[in-house]
Amino acid sequence: MAVTKTEIEKLARLAKLSFSDEELERFTAEFDAIIAFADTINQSIEGGTEQIRSVGARMVPFEALRPDEVAPSLPNDKILSNVEGYNGFFSVERSKK
Amino acid sequence: MRTGISELASRLRKREISAVELTKTYINNIEKLNPTLNAYVHLTFDIALKAAEQADRMIKEDDAPLLCGIPMALKDNICTDGLPTTCCSKILDGFKPYYDATAWEKLKARGAVLLGKTNMDEFAMGSTSETSCYGAPLNPINTAYVTGGSSGGSAAVVCADLAVYSLGSDTGGSIRQPASFCGVVGLKPTYGAVSRYGLIAYGSSLDQIGPLTTSVKDAAIVFDAIKGGDKRDQTSVDHDYGASLAECLDRDVKGMRIGVAEEFFDGINPEIKSKIMEAVALFEKNGAIIENIRLPALKIALPVYYIIACAEASSNLGRYDGIRYGHRASSYTSIEDMIMKTRSEGFGDEVKRRIMLGTYVLSSGYYDAYYKKACLIREEINREFDAVFEKCDALIAPTAPNTAFPLNYKGASPVEIYLSDICTVPVNIAGIPAISVPCGEDSRGLPIGMQIIGNKFDEATVLQIANFYEQNSGIKAGVYEGGARA
Repeated sequence: MAVTKTEIEKLARLAKLSFSDEELERFTAEFDAIIAFADTINQSIEGGTEQIRSVGARMVPFEALRPDEVAPSLPNDKILSNVEGYNGFFSVERSKK
Repeated sequence: MRTGISELASRLRKREISAVELTKTYINNIEKLNPTLNAYVHLTFDIALKAAEQADRMIKEDDAPLLCGIPMALKDNICTDGLPTTCCSKILDGFKPYYDATAWEKLKARGAVLLGKTNMDEFAMGSTSETSCYGAPLNPINTAYVTGGSSGGSAAVVCADLAVYSLGSDTGGSIRQPASFCGVVGLKPTYGAVSRYGLIAYGSSLDQIGPLTTSVKDAAIVFDAIKGGDKRDQTSVDHDYGASLAECLDRDVKGMRIGVAEEFFDGINPEIKSKIMEAVALFEKNGAIIENIRLPALKIALPVYYIIACAEASSNLGRYDGIRYGHRASSYTSIEDMIMKTRSEGFGDEVKRRIMLGTYVLSSGYYDAYYKKACLIREEINREFDAVFEKCDALIAPTAPNTAFPLNYKGASPVEIYLSDICTVPVNIAGIPAISVPCGEDSRGLPIGMQIIGNKFDEATVLQIANFYEQNSGIKAGVYEGGARA
């Protein structure tokens, strides 16, 4: 199945990525080969994929979960130490005039 | 043969050498070779020397664990409090975590001396370490070849004696394959055996931290130190391994049932197949029972792996938005635009490809056909391995279908590179342990790796068989002692 440039553009928006026209051409071609590779999941395996049955999600029994207790956490200033220019707020460029 | 951890620890205790002297020796080696090899991307010499001084005090007080004062390295995706941790990606440029990964915390508590952080494929996505934003590390055995990946730097520093041991991470073979390419030992433990807390996530249901070393015994020593449950990683398990695995390595293979599955040998380089079969013959000669087994679902393990890993990666890497850490685009028109530009500038092509594939297989209309189906086949692969371990103690397989690729191997498309993971990904899909040990070299002098695969939490058998092979084959880690060859 050939992947179109429009589909790649839609995927890029979902993935929060942007591509130049040249990158888009290249990615579309590469992605075609990658999807063809992913499609090999549909080839038959010895014994038949019909044997493969849904086991459902492995749910953790509710009683096995630990109680949700508030515990000491890292201090805010440490957690935010990588934010450039943090001063109680995240500073970004003005985008609305 | 390189001096192992036990002997170095013994020399430190006898005061034949101090931890500071040992650390300085390694710093000299790094200063000499790293400009060529590019195996370290962040050096932590000041911290190493302080840790070595502290180690010397601990040793003097006779209160030192085995790893105390031993110089080592960490892959650049393992968080180190206050020290750069970038996953070799521009998007994490300048990031300094504010906590230690549990595996590193455990080693630090034992007096480990951290020399630096090692080069890797960006976000551990690759099989050659060439997707690193710092450029590729070079294979110390022959610098015209890649180290393998994604823990390429961690394999190279051990091979070139720029660290006694290192930690790497393995999502689809990222410890074992570079260990194979650089001729060292690499252990991928059972999923859950080592806490993933502080390991920057790629494929969370597949990732696992493990050691790269020059001997099986050293791998066991490091695994002993880092294993164990952790309440900060809900997928970790506090499995009772009994005694120290490093002290239980001496076991004969007589009577052991060792499986060989033909699926692991499809399309393998004949030189590699021949070396692995020589090893199988050695086990058989020493009394092991060789079982020819089948694992039919392995035929589609590769697309299963790439679908699951990329789906998880597309979710895990959603957090990189330029707001809380790392790179941020300098000009933008809206917050949405800032995030898109930051991500597009910050991620390399391979990471983008995998995020896009993950987004695709999770998107409406394709979820059932790809992601859900991959999860179902994963269950089938698990069942096949479960059945195999009913009758076998371990499996023998090649680590990779090829030896190291030449650097900048232009002929390889992304998919061709993905295909080189064929022997390692089934182990991650099933969450079982496996080790890669040196198994000779090909006609170009490049190392070949053999994989020994075990049942869940049976690292003991894996290590025992590996140790038996190491002691009886005459093949030692292909470490390069004399400095990188030009």
